[in-house]
This record gives sequence, structure tokens and C-alpha cells, in this order.
Amino acid sequence: ALVMTELMQPDSRRCTYFFLYDGSKVKGEGDLTREGICYFYPEETPLDEQELLCGQLAGAGRCVSELSSSPVCVLRLRRNKFAIRMKDDFFWALGCPVEVPTISVCELLDQLINLFRFYNGSVRRSYQLNRPETLASRWAQYLSHLQSGSSDLHHIFSCLRTIDATNIDPLLLLKAALILQACQRCPLVSAGCVLFRGRVVSTQISPELTMKVMVHESETYTKGPRCNDPGTFNSFGGAVSSTTVFLTRSSLAKFLPFSKTRLSRTLSNTPSTESEPSDAFSSPSFSRRLSDSSVFSPDPSQSGADPTPQQPDPPFSNGEPSPEAEEEVPEESNYESFHSNGNGVSQMHNEAGGSLFGEDSRLNGGGGDGDAARGPVFDFRGAEESRDHNVFEEVSGGGCGNVQGRGAESPDPARSDDSPLIPMTLYLHRVKGLVLALLVEPCFLSDTDSMEEVYHSSLASLNGLEAHLRTVSPGASGPQGPYLFAHFDCVQSTLTTNLSARPGGALQRPFVRATSLLHSHFCNTETLQEAIIRSAGAAVYGTRSVAQETYFQQHGGSLRNSGIPNHQDSAFSLPGKARHRLLKHGVNLI
Amino acid sequence: MKCLLIASESAEVLFHWTDPEFQQNVQKQYGASQEDGQGLPAFEDSISTLFAPIIISCITMVDRLRDSYTSFTTENHHIYVLHQFDECLYIAVNGDGEEGECDLRRKIYVVKKMTEVLFGMVTLSSNLLRKELRPQDTEQRARLWKHLQSLLQTYGHLRENDQSFLVEAVERLIHPTLCEQCIEFLERRLVQQLNSSGERAGEEVMHAFILVHTKLLAFYSSRNASSLSTSDLLVLIIMAQNMYPSNTDSDDPNPEDVESTSGSGPESFYTPEPSPPPDRGSSSSGEKPGRGSTPVFEFVDPDVQMAEDSLQTLEVPPPDPSTPRRVFLEVSLKDGLYPMMPHSMYCLPLWPGITLVLLTKIPTSAVAMSVYTFLEAFAKLEKRLSEGQEGSAATRGQRTIHEVRGKLDKFIKALGPTEIQSGQLQKEWIEFKNLAFTRGGPGFSRHLIPSCKKMKTQLCAVYRQCFLLESGSSSIPQRLSPGLQERAQSMVQEKLMDWKDFLLVKSRRNITMVSYLEDFPGLIHFICVDRSTGQMIAPSLNLTERNTSELGKGPLAQFIRRKVWTLVNTTRRYLQKGYSTVTFRDGDFYFCYFLWFENETGFKLEAGDLPVLSDDSAPIGMLAWDYYRKLLRYYSKSHQGEVVKCYELLTVHLGVVPAEIILQHCRQLASKLWEPSRNPLL
Repeated sequence: ALVMTELMQPDSRRCTYFFLYDGSKVKGEGDLTREGICYFYPEETPLDEQELLCGQLAGAGRCVSELSSSPVCVLRLRRNKFAIRMKDDFFWALGCPVEVPTISVCELLDQLINLFRFYNGSVRRSYQLNRPETLASRWAQYLSHLQSGSSDLHHIFSCLRTIDATNIDPLLLLKAALILQACQRCPLVSAGCVLFRGRVVSTQISPELTMKVMVHESETYTKGPRCNDPGTFNSFGGAVSSTTVFLTRSSLAKFLPFSKTRLSRTLSNTPSTESEPSDAFSSPSFSRRLSDSSVFSPDPSQSGADPTPQQPDPPFSNGEPSPEAEEEVPEESNYESFHSNGNGVSQMHNEAGGSLFGEDSRLNGGGGDGDAARGPVFDFRGAEESRDHNVFEEVSGGGCGNVQGRGAESPDPARSDDSPLIPMTLYLHRVKGLVLALLVEPCFLSDTDSMEEVYHSSLASLNGLEAHLRTVSPGASGPQGPYLFAHFDCVQSTLTTNLSARPGGALQRPFVRATSLLHSHFCNTETLQEAIIRSAGAAVYGTRSVAQETYFQQHGGSLRNSGIPNHQDSAFSLPGKARHRLLKHGVNLI
Repeated sequence: MKCLLIASESAEVLFHWTDPEFQQNVQKQYGASQEDGQGLPAFEDSISTLFAPIIISCITMVDRLRDSYTSFTTENHHIYVLHQFDECLYIAVNGDGEEGECDLRRKIYVVKKMTEVLFGMVTLSSNLLRKELRPQDTEQRARLWKHLQSLLQTYGHLRENDQSFLVEAVERLIHPTLCEQCIEFLERRLVQQLNSSGERAGEEVMHAFILVHTKLLAFYSSRNASSLSTSDLLVLIIMAQNMYPSNTDSDDPNPEDVESTSGSGPESFYTPEPSPPPDRGSSSSGEKPGRGSTPVFEFVDPDVQMAEDSLQTLEVPPPDPSTPRRVFLEVSLKDGLYPMMPHSMYCLPLWPGITLVLLTKIPTSAVAMSVYTFLEAFAKLEKRLSEGQEGSAATRGQRTIHEVRGKLDKFIKALGPTEIQSGQLQKEWIEFKNLAFTRGGPGFSRHLIPSCKKMKTQLCAVYRQCFLLESGSSSIPQRLSPGLQERAQSMVQEKLMDWKDFLLVKSRRNITMVSYLEDFPGLIHFICVDRSTGQMIAPSLNLTERNTSELGKGPLAQFIRRKVWTLVNTTRRYLQKGYSTVTFRDGDFYFCYFLWFENETGFKLEAGDLPVLSDDSAPIGMLAWDYYRKLLRYYSKSHQGEVVKCYELLTVHLGVVPAEIILQHCRQLASKLWEPSRNPLL
């Protein structure tokens, strides 16, 4: 965590406050507010100020929630705005300067909570099992990771950092995709991604999940491989490590689409800037591809031989009950049996049947010890889950008022906290700056054959890929030109821009400000397609489709005019200019 | 689900307004929390209990963190907006999705403005305002709250339905000839006669205007009057509407009825002189009423019905219709701006929907000017002292404190023999003088701050006595005599008798889109505002059950109306952040917004940097806080010696019209609507 904090530039912080407050610790008259503070950022804040903020915000928030019979999700002060999440007795607040779009603040908090849950499982359970200091350092680590985006635009769009595809031989992208596919031949491997120096080369999993995976990657990168790490394996020369992660049902369901689209896109030789992904979703062939995909219909014969409990991992040492226990009591026993019973695993694969919601049927078969009564119960639950999933999409589509207009993309943690988390293992294979990250079944680690097969089959390709990527010069970041632009791919969560990475260039500020306003407007108004806004200093054009948002500003030109409607006004030629200029960046606005 | 609450720092509810849904919600919650179910406590108690923690937390945040809550949003889209003015905390809540954060903030500012118009400078002392808003006497309190609540409701209704209250500018009836005649009539006949009458009890009519619903037919200010600010005029229109609400459904005749019953219909009856603009569109201004015949309008439902339905205000009727309302309006004189000067407002109904409003200066208004001068001096002194300035640095200013000393001595002496109790003021003043001017005393230092505050409070108290308290019930209220008022009323009725039906129709369809369709194909709607004069014009968008606009009725028309309302809010948001040109494509429509400056000769001035305001800044508009006046002042700094005018144009086009054509349309509208004649081209 220390290293990460140093990497972060102080002026690029978008978060001014973050805290997690546990109201259950402060119930009695004599209880001190500080007892309830689980984590407070900035950590150097004087304790009485921490108490003041936690106490007042949580108190006022609860009062408003009671009046409206609904949790508070945004709270504004004159100088800061806070995204708020209230769940059971927990109260999360993330504060940003008021210029940051509200929707971005909410997204950031959701990401942060989801990140925590991804690596630690249920928050309540984590606090029951771990010392608060340990978890505090994790919050700090996740927060600093999420804030490490380098440009002002990262305060607006939460995006995945990818390698500059315009600079790279498409064959390398194809190669990365093929490495991932090859790994999937092992039935215990679900999906994965290839990262190079903190950037995505190729991924089969959703952007949200890739972002989460990258936290662990950057952590192991900065720490450097250490052989005595509990998660590393000596047999692979310290290059391989692993950790337990927890996935929600909906994020598991998202695996497949991305593995396929990413591949087809790579093959079609059109790097990272097209609007196809949306088509990929809607095309009729999509569901077909899903159903005959092999990922979730593994060969039964390849079942894990010895799926005894996974490697020791900090949050959940051996013998601890699984974190879901508190949330879903029936499941507890299910997972225990799942973790300890080899037959359970093999049976699970038998029954998964390749459906998208395979995990539901896995639950059915999970109790491999033959408890007949449990079967129907789980059946019922399974059906409910998938229905719940749909409900969720609808509800979050409305989001938090105008604040979360694009709900489906940022699952509401308060809601997803209800859904059970499914433990998986994150497997990392590092070759210098290159990392192969795979989400695998927990039993993969104890299945020496599978592990060796995956390791050896990819080793040579990884080495080759690393050697090639290393030689690609990072410089020459595309044509600069007399204009600024930002292009955000909402499906892949990638941002293409010619803004310099340093924050706050005076020339860029008007552009960033306009982009921030327009982005909020786009998020709040579903029917809005394009807009031109002009202040005395800058005219900015913004346009969006389902899959992308693009912002464009032309330098110079005679901005000086009276502001009276005039069709010769240069501001109104921006759409044409944007279409023309951005083609060479691979942005197609037609 | 709406609520507005004013609370003191000690969490006492000074005023509240809630709609039935909110009230139900609160009662339900309170019922739930009270398990024994001993019957519900008084609504006021429950609301104060429920909000107390928020209010206290808000005060704590200000005290300890120098920051305060501005809003809360819940997952079910309830919005709470908070704003503190001095020691009063305003909270506005919406839970039905009809109002956004900016609407709620605007509402808070509007309530603040209304208290200023109703209580004047008493609002400058939180302590006195608290007593004024929450009188000890429960009956009096109920009456006052009802009045404020119904004002608020009227405002809400106008903001939702009237374009002029949407953009916060006054809409004039477009009929140049008639307007001119009426102004002349007000000047030569009415005001002159009133002001030379012996029954005016020392009052002097400063402004007179005729409203047809919310639209201005004629406005006349006497020669020695300062101009009436747009902000004040808009509040007065709300007050007039509140007294005599327009019944949108019943008194609004269906134009088809008008046409079917029109047999005679030669235009000569309604337009004694031919309309001056001979070109395009001129027909539209006269055509509809022209076809109407005289006795079409039966005002079956008296306005009372509407008032009972929506306002619930009639339980306490005004004591005497001829008793004027005390209003406090801004007066700008050569030697400066005097806010909140006392006036009397006479609202004389001519016919349902048509009202004559008279504003008079009361004889004692000079006292108000003196009080304001002293208040200002003490406020400045207090500010300097609290900034740490001492001695002569603190007393520097336009009026030296010594000058004030002499004047205040005289002022108190003059008050002495009158019935105004100025003893307390005199006591504080002696104390102040002892502290400030005594050799060896603390002089002008921090120690004087409490004394400054006390002086301000006492000045406000004197002001309150002079202008807010009813003079003893035995004495006859001071006002234009009822007979004089009646005469004024019948004079104007006589003048407008032949026009009244025309005016009522005209006010509903002041200008119509039809007359623009030929020249602006694809144009659906526009609003044009002259911010320097605070006036607007826009094709009518009335959508009542019986009366439809050209857009027809039903979902489409309602949809367009919603879009226009949203458009105004959106463009304000961009203007707040310094963007003066905004165009966007939304669904099947293309929206444009332009703000620009011209000098008096119509020369377009260069667009300068506009101020960038924070999210919780005062709302952009003219009603509660005149943004545009400040904008003009700001802009004029770089255009010394020029009269700067500010215009806005909003348009809605069909999305299929090419952008170049849309911009040409906008250009033409912008240049034609405000031609030098200042008569919009029609």
C-alpha cells in the first residue's frame, strides 16, 4: 500500500475523503464515535475531525433515509460531494471536489466497494475475521489504485488502461488472445486476461472484472515476486502466484460475452476504437455462440483429482467458514461440502451443462454428499436468482435518480451485497512486465497436472509476446493536431484521447470542464445524442451512441464573436471537423 | 411529495408547507414510531421532531467544519435541498420526481424573496424575522402561514404552467395600439386623478398596471417614481394571482365556441384603429378575438372554486378587500439603491382574470430610507471590525460614522414625540456612543461588534413598528379611501369594457406559432427574452382540458411542453458554468439556446467571459435573485459608457431540419423579434 501511495500524484487525487463507518459499534449512549470508524482517508486527518464527519454524515444520512424510507445515495456539502452507500449498519462515504460529475463519484465508490468484496468477500464477515488495521491497509490500497489514473479525464470516466493498439502489430493482440484461448482448454480455467506493465493487452472478461484483476497484478508487480509468499509456487520459479477472489453471479455471467467479442475484434484487425461491441451483443448469433461455447461445459473426465482446500490466503485461512455463511445460511454447508468434497466438484461439472447460468446448476449439484432434500431448495433458489438478475438490470437502469443513469454498468453494491459471492481463484503467471491472469476454479491449484499443463503451454508464447511488446516504443502517441478529443468506449471502458497525461494543463482545462458537464448531461438524458456548448474560451462538441461517447474541441479559429445565432459560426462546424479529424485516430463517428 | 421548511438554529420550525402526500407520509412514519398509538401528535410537532436531527447536524457542520449540507438524494429519488440564510435554515424536499435540485433551490430563494417583500428589512434581523414568521398567537400564525403557503402554491402553479414564470420575465400582451392607449389612460386619467384627490390619505400612486391573467397589458410609472424591478414585479404578479386566481379551465373560452357564436365579427369593433404592422402575422394578433362576438363569456364558476380546490386558503378571508397589502419594494434613486422600501399594494379586480394594481408610496417612507442608511452603516462597520480592522480604518466609508452620529441623533429625536417606541433604540445608541466615542473607551475595535449587532436589531425593530404593525385597531387604517378605489376601478372598467373578452382570449394566445410556420418550417417553439427589460415573448403553450394549443392536445403537446421546461433548466445549468451558446439533438428534436449582448443601437457586442458559478449558487433567473442584472453589471465593466442589453433565444426544431437552416432561423428570429421599434414583428 505504501508503494502505491507514493506512485499516486497528490494533485491527481480525485477523492478528498473516504470512510467506512460501522454504526453497529456505536449504539449505546457511552459508545464513542471513533469505535465505529473502520477506515478513514486521508489517514492523517485528526481523529476529532474524523469523528465529526462520520458522526454527522452518518447521523444526518440516517435521518433522511428514515424520512424517505430509502437509503441516501448522494450527499453534497458546499465544498465536497459525497457518494453514500448504506447497508445494514455500514455507512460508506466517498467525497470528491464538487467539479467531479456526481455519477463519476458514485461509480468510484461502487468500484471501491466491489473491489474490496472481490478480494475479501463479504465486508461484514471480513471485519469479523480480520483485524481492522489489516483491512484498513486494503482499503487504502484499493483507493490508491483507483485514483492512479493519470489525467483529469480519469476523474470523469472510469476506464481501463489499455496498451496503445494503434502502435502495435495486430498480430501481437491476436497472439495474446490465442494464449488465453489455449489456457481455456483446461476445463478448470474460466477466462482471463493478458496485461503488460499495468495495461491490458487482451481480455476475455468484463472491464469491471479486468479492472479488479489489475489491482492484484500491480500489487505483485510492485512487491516483486517473493518465493515465500503464501500465494506463490516454488515449482514455477516464483513466476506464478494466486489468490482467492469472490465473484457475484452477474459478473460470472459476464465472462463469456467478452471473451468472444474481444477475440473477434482482434481478428478483424480493427483496434480498440470501433463501435462493434454493441453489435456483438445484439446480433442473433451472439446467443448461439454463447450456448455452444465450451467454457462452461467442461469434459467430465478432467475433473480435479484432489480438491482439498485451496492454498492459504490471508483473509480466509483453512477451516474458516466461507464468507457467504452470514448471507445465505443454506449455502454455507453447500460451500463447505463443495470445498472439501472432491466428488462434489466433479459432479458439479457434470451438471453444469454449459448453460450461461451454469453456476446455478452447480449449486444444485454442489451438495454432492447426496442430501436429497437440498436439491429442490436450490432449484428454487436458482430460479429466483436468475429472475433477480433481470430485476436488477431494470432497477439499476433507473439508477440513483439522475445520478446513475447508466446503472447497468455499475452494479449497485448495496444490492449485489445481497447476492451470494462465489469464490474463485485468480492465477497469475508473470514474465517480466507481462502477466497472464486467469480466473480458475479453486481446485485448479491442487490439480498439479492441469496447472503444469497451463503453465507450460503458455510459457513460450508469453516469453515471445513479452519480448515483442518490450520493443514497442511507447512514444509517438498518435498524431497531435490542432484539436483535443476524448473518445470513451462504454462497452470496453476504454478511453482514447490526445490529451497529455499530466493533469491540469491550462489549455486542456476548458475541454475537461466541458467534457465533464456533457458527460453528466449524456448520463442523465437518455435521448440526448449530440451537443455543442460554447463559452467565451472554447467550443466543445460531444456526441454519443449506445456504445461510445466522443468529445472534440478545435484549437484556435476565431472564437471571438457576439454569441448571436450565426450559421457561419465556427462552433457549428465542429461535428464535421470531428468526423474528419478523428478518423485517423480510429474513431468513426459516421 | 413536497415540503418546504424554515427552521431556526435552535431547530424551531418557523414555517412549513407540505402537500397532502408529504403530510400523509410524515403521519404514517410518526404513527409507526409511536407504538402505543396514542393518537398522532400535532402535525407541526411531528415534522419538527423528524427534521430536528438534520437541522442540528447542519448547524454543527457550519460551526465546526465551516461547510454545510446543500443536498441529499436518496435511492428512491427523493431530493432534499438545504440553504441557510443568516440564522434561518431552509429545507425543500421533493419525493415525486416533479422537481429537481435546481427547482428546489429556486423555490427556497423565492420564499426568501417573498419574505422580503412581505416583511421588508425585518428580514435583516434573524431574531425579529423569527418572531414575525412564527407569531406567538396561534390564530395569527395560522393566518400568516396560510397566506405564505398559498403564495408558494400559486408560485408553484405558475412556474409549472406559465412560460413567463418558467423563464422569469414579464410577458406583455402584444397589441401595440391598445397598450399605448391604456398607458395613456393610466397616465392622463387615472394616476393623475388619484394623486390629486383629497381622499388619498397622503399616499401617492407611483405605479399602476393592468394584468390580464399573468400578462401585462399596460404599465405606467409616475414621473418621480423609480423604475420597478422585474423581480419585484414578478412577485407582485404572483400576489395578484394569489388574490384573484385565474381559473384556467372555466374562464378560458374554447376558441371554437368563440368562432361558432361569432355572427357579426367585423374587426372594426375590436380594433378601433388598424394594426400598425402591416406585414406578415399582423392578422394573427387580431383575428381570433375579431371573430368573437360580445357576450360570449359566462364566468360560470367563480374563482372561489379554484381557490378552494387547490389553495385551501379561504378559511381566513382577507378582512377588507379595500385594505391594501403592505409590500416592500426596491427603489433606486439618484443617491443609491434602497431595497425593501414600504409601499401599499391595491389589487382591484376589474373582471375575473383582469386586475388593476396600484402601488403607492406611503407618507412615512422617508423613515425607511433613514433606517436603511443607518443599517447599512452599522453593517459595514461590523464587517470591517470583524475583519480585524480597527480605529479609523474601520470607520472609513462613504458616510463617516460621525456623519451617521449626527443624523441618528436627529432621527431619534424626531421619533421621540411620535407613538413609535424608540426607547430601546435610544438606550443602545447611548451605549454605542459611550463605547465608540468616549475617550479612553474601547473605541472602534472588536468590542464594538456586539453593540453594532444590537443597533441593527433595534433599527429593524423601529422599522417593524413603523411599517408592519397595524396601527391601533381604533384608528382608521391609512389608505386610499374605499370610494376612491371604487372610482379607479370603475374608470378602468369603463375604459376596457369593450375589450375585456378580447383581452381574455388574447392573454391565452398572445402570439401563436401558426404565424411563424410559413417562414420557419420545422420550427416548433421558441422563447425570446430581453433580459435588460425583463420581458419575454413566446407562442402560447396552453394546455387545459378544453383549450388546446396548435400542437393539439394530449401526449404530444404535453411532451413538447415538458421538453421546453427541461430545455430551460438545462440551458441554465450550462449558463451557470459560463456557456452562452448551447445546441443539442435530443430524440427527434433539435434545441438551441443563445445568449448575447447588444448596445443600444443594436450593434452586437463581443461575447465575453461569463462568470462560472458553483452548483449551489443562487438560481439563474430574475424572480428571486436577479442573475441577469448582475451579469449585465459584470459585462458592462468592459463596456464603459455604453448601454448594454442582453438577449436570450431558445428554439425547438424538428430534428430532421438541417443544422444550417436551423441556425438561419435562429438568426432571423433574433434579429426580427426585437426590432428597433421594440414591437415584436408579428
